[in-house]
Amino acid sequence: MEVTFKLNGETVTCPVTTKSTLLRLLRDELKMTGTKNGCEHGDCGACSVIVDGVLEKSCIFPARNLDGKEVLTIEGVSNADGTPSDLQQAFLDAGATQCGYCTPGMIMAGEALLLMNNNPTRQDIREAISENLCRCTGYQQIVDAIQATAKSRLNGGAK
Amino acid sequence: MSENLKYVGNPNSKAADGIEKILGKAKYVGDMTLPGMLYAKLLTSPVPHAKIVELDVKPALAVEGVVAAITSDDFVDHGFFGWPVKDMYVLAYQKVRYVGDPIAVVAAESEAAAAAGVAAIKLKLEELPVVSDMHKALDPDAALVPLEPQIGDGNLLVTHLVRNGDPDPILAECDIVVDESYNFQPQEHGYIETEGVFAIPEPGGTVVVFANDQSPHINRDNAAGMLGLTGEAVRVIQPPVGGSFGGKDDHVYQFTGQAAKLALITGRPVRLVLTREESLATSYKRAAAYAHLKIGMSKDGVIRAAKTEYLADSGAYASQTPLSSWRASMHLAGAYRYEAATVDTKAVYTNNGYAGAFRGFGNTQAAAASEVAVDELAAKIGMDPIAFRLKNCLRTGDKAFTGNVIQHEAGLAQCLEWVRDQSGWADKRKSLGFKANDEVLKGIGVACYFHGSGLGGEGIDYARITLTVERDHSVTLQSGLTDYGQGSRTVFTLIAAETLGVTPERIVMLRPDTDTAPETGPTVASRASIVGGNATKVTAGKLIQKLNMAAADLLGCPLEQITRHGEDFIGPNEEPVAIEEVIDHAFEMGLQMSSQGYWQIPVIHWDFEKGTGTPYYTYSFGAQVAQVEVTKATGKIQVTGVWASHDGGKIIFPKGARGQLMGGITQGLGYALTEGFTYKDGYPQKKNLKEYHLPTSLDVPEMETHFVETNLAEGPFGAKNLAEPVMIAIAPAIANAVFHATNVRCRDFPISADWLKGKLG
Repeated sequence: MEVTFKLNGETVTCPVTTKSTLLRLLRDELKMTGTKNGCEHGDCGACSVIVDGVLEKSCIFPARNLDGKEVLTIEGVSNADGTPSDLQQAFLDAGATQCGYCTPGMIMAGEALLLMNNNPTRQDIREAISENLCRCTGYQQIVDAIQATAKSRLNGGAK
Repeated sequence: MSENLKYVGNPNSKAADGIEKILGKAKYVGDMTLPGMLYAKLLTSPVPHAKIVELDVKPALAVEGVVAAITSDDFVDHGFFGWPVKDMYVLAYQKVRYVGDPIAVVAAESEAAAAAGVAAIKLKLEELPVVSDMHKALDPDAALVPLEPQIGDGNLLVTHLVRNGDPDPILAECDIVVDESYNFQPQEHGYIETEGVFAIPEPGGTVVVFANDQSPHINRDNAAGMLGLTGEAVRVIQPPVGGSFGGKDDHVYQFTGQAAKLALITGRPVRLVLTREESLATSYKRAAAYAHLKIGMSKDGVIRAAKTEYLADSGAYASQTPLSSWRASMHLAGAYRYEAATVDTKAVYTNNGYAGAFRGFGNTQAAAASEVAVDELAAKIGMDPIAFRLKNCLRTGDKAFTGNVIQHEAGLAQCLEWVRDQSGWADKRKSLGFKANDEVLKGIGVACYFHGSGLGGEGIDYARITLTVERDHSVTLQSGLTDYGQGSRTVFTLIAAETLGVTPERIVMLRPDTDTAPETGPTVASRASIVGGNATKVTAGKLIQKLNMAAADLLGCPLEQITRHGEDFIGPNEEPVAIEEVIDHAFEMGLQMSSQGYWQIPVIHWDFEKGTGTPYYTYSFGAQVAQVEVTKATGKIQVTGVWASHDGGKIIFPKGARGQLMGGITQGLGYALTEGFTYKDGYPQKKNLKEYHLPTSLDVPEMETHFVETNLAEGPFGAKNLAEPVMIAIAPAIANAVFHATNVRCRDFPISADWLKGKLG
């Protein structure tokens, strides 16, 4: 079967099998490796992407369900000229990335939260990233980065 | 420090390799592909201990899509390797010794074909008696785990001693003695990126391997040995590594040998990346351990003597347990003054998954045991736990329990004072604490530590760095010391920039590559900042002389008249010349614009036979306070506050250092509460990250952190070690806070909620 969906704003059509997942489609077929594979069971969140505005673990998201959907991955978050988005830059500024493996998923989790809640508390942020494991940072600088971005967007900073 | 530093210690300095990570562009092993590549898959042992009666990979070769399959027979000397103890094979030979022990590898056109190939391998095992309880590993009737006894006595792997006076007569006259045992389960590293290697054959029979290991040069030497090649024929390059914490060495060396062999046999690139389940079963862990501490003091609270024992479960192979159990021994009585102390340590083989290096490296268990014991001592005389520690803790010039003098400035007392003052300790010790009628019990506890810097008695502690000025005016930095997330790329970059007087953006640290980077020993023991940092400083000092020489020639003045303003060079006529011009002129002069520097920690001596000497050149110190809430109905412990202070000398990369501190605390919090990687009769009880619970953002409180910047004159700009010690105080601090909250003393880690519930019921 085939699915047609929007990926980072561009329409793509791909053949998929009943078994294939969005993660495998992105990484193996479309060679978009920014989305990471950490466990392939939905336990770690490294593969997080946004589908129709909602945070999803791409490793357990069936590719066959993609038809007509809009998918946003880490590659689609950056500015058009390839520079980091405000949230990406905030991760760098806050020291929120160490080994970097959870970072794309964390940025997607932060972006998904900010789509729904433009003024989150630190607890809101902790809940929003609670299914994304990070083994390096202890999460606090990640919370700092997302909070700083929310504040800057509220104050009219560019998205 | 009197120096006016621009980049070192600057709170705004950012991770040197952060940009590619936040953009999702960093290429980890699993992100690499090449046309015609093959996928490799492991066959691992389903049982803890068995003789390999039959192993035939030919049926796998008949499976469609399978291109090659290998066993230990395909390697020189069956791929025998290991350091400091040689007891491992690239693939199991004669026996399997733990569940997950790699037996064979298949390379195929697809992952599915590789899995089908693995399933087709003919394997006949004859099960052997299983040694699963480390306390019974030395029983006369225990089955022998290694192929041959290691030191002539069954499953005994190693022994260590500390002999500093005779504690027995002092303990006999002590008014108060704590005599308790502490138990520790294995801990999984839990790096979010699993292990992976990508091997690419080259014309002429050589091979390039991208491996997410910690120590590429050691990896190369092992692989070359197994493959029967010279070191130059195997090139190991380290891509970005998605976390390691000590956990990506020995088995990644196995995978490197395997993938390299398959690439050489097939003439095609081979990628081997573990699934999470394979990673959990196959990878080594923090050693399970048992500590027995007998510590005596006078009734006015002066610690006097300790007699201690330590037993570590090395599991199926030695890996780094001989060294981590030594480090445990060197810290077991804690960061206090003693009149006399002894340690008797044993490490044993069992058929549990094997134990190896993990952040803290033995001191994680040692500090947890001694810090709970010391808390017990304070409680016995009703003394405030921080006041008690301040009364007994090591200060500059004191003797550690190992008998050596703490030579350099020790910031332990300052760390304790900071966490006391910042956490509201005095008030909370009164307002919180056990209240029988409360449903949620609240408490606050403390723990502190010392941690020997670098390898100490484990080996010669050195580093080499190469800095090269390039024609495009950048400066490349090369080292065999690696960055697996702990920030050494940034630390080296900042030190090089500071010393050369150039912006950090001009420095490009190349990926560790055994073909080009100088050999530097392993990247372990939180030693990269001290030895690598110093080597960087030495190297940059040599390179700046060459730049000055070019500037002097360009400006037609003597060398000593050259001064600097930012990146510009200034001669006697005070006209600034841009560094680009100086570099261009250096190339026109034909100067050799590359320098290599070496630095070694001053040599100390520990007598392993006698158990005396100086185990480490210097120490870092720290203290942490944890505040907890315990739900009586469930026994669940929630950590609600953490205050942490670390004396790591001068902090070079503040943002990274703070991240290390908080990340270490989080790993230690998991160690305290949920992360027990247990075995039952040799079978692992946790198979995936649903069952093995790593702390989430909701398990970790907001933390307050602080650095006491003592000065180590020999450290680069005064820096000491950081990444490992910061994780070791939180587990005992939590246990001590739980005691404050519940009156229940926790001596087994992780602290089981069910167990605690039972105690509270």
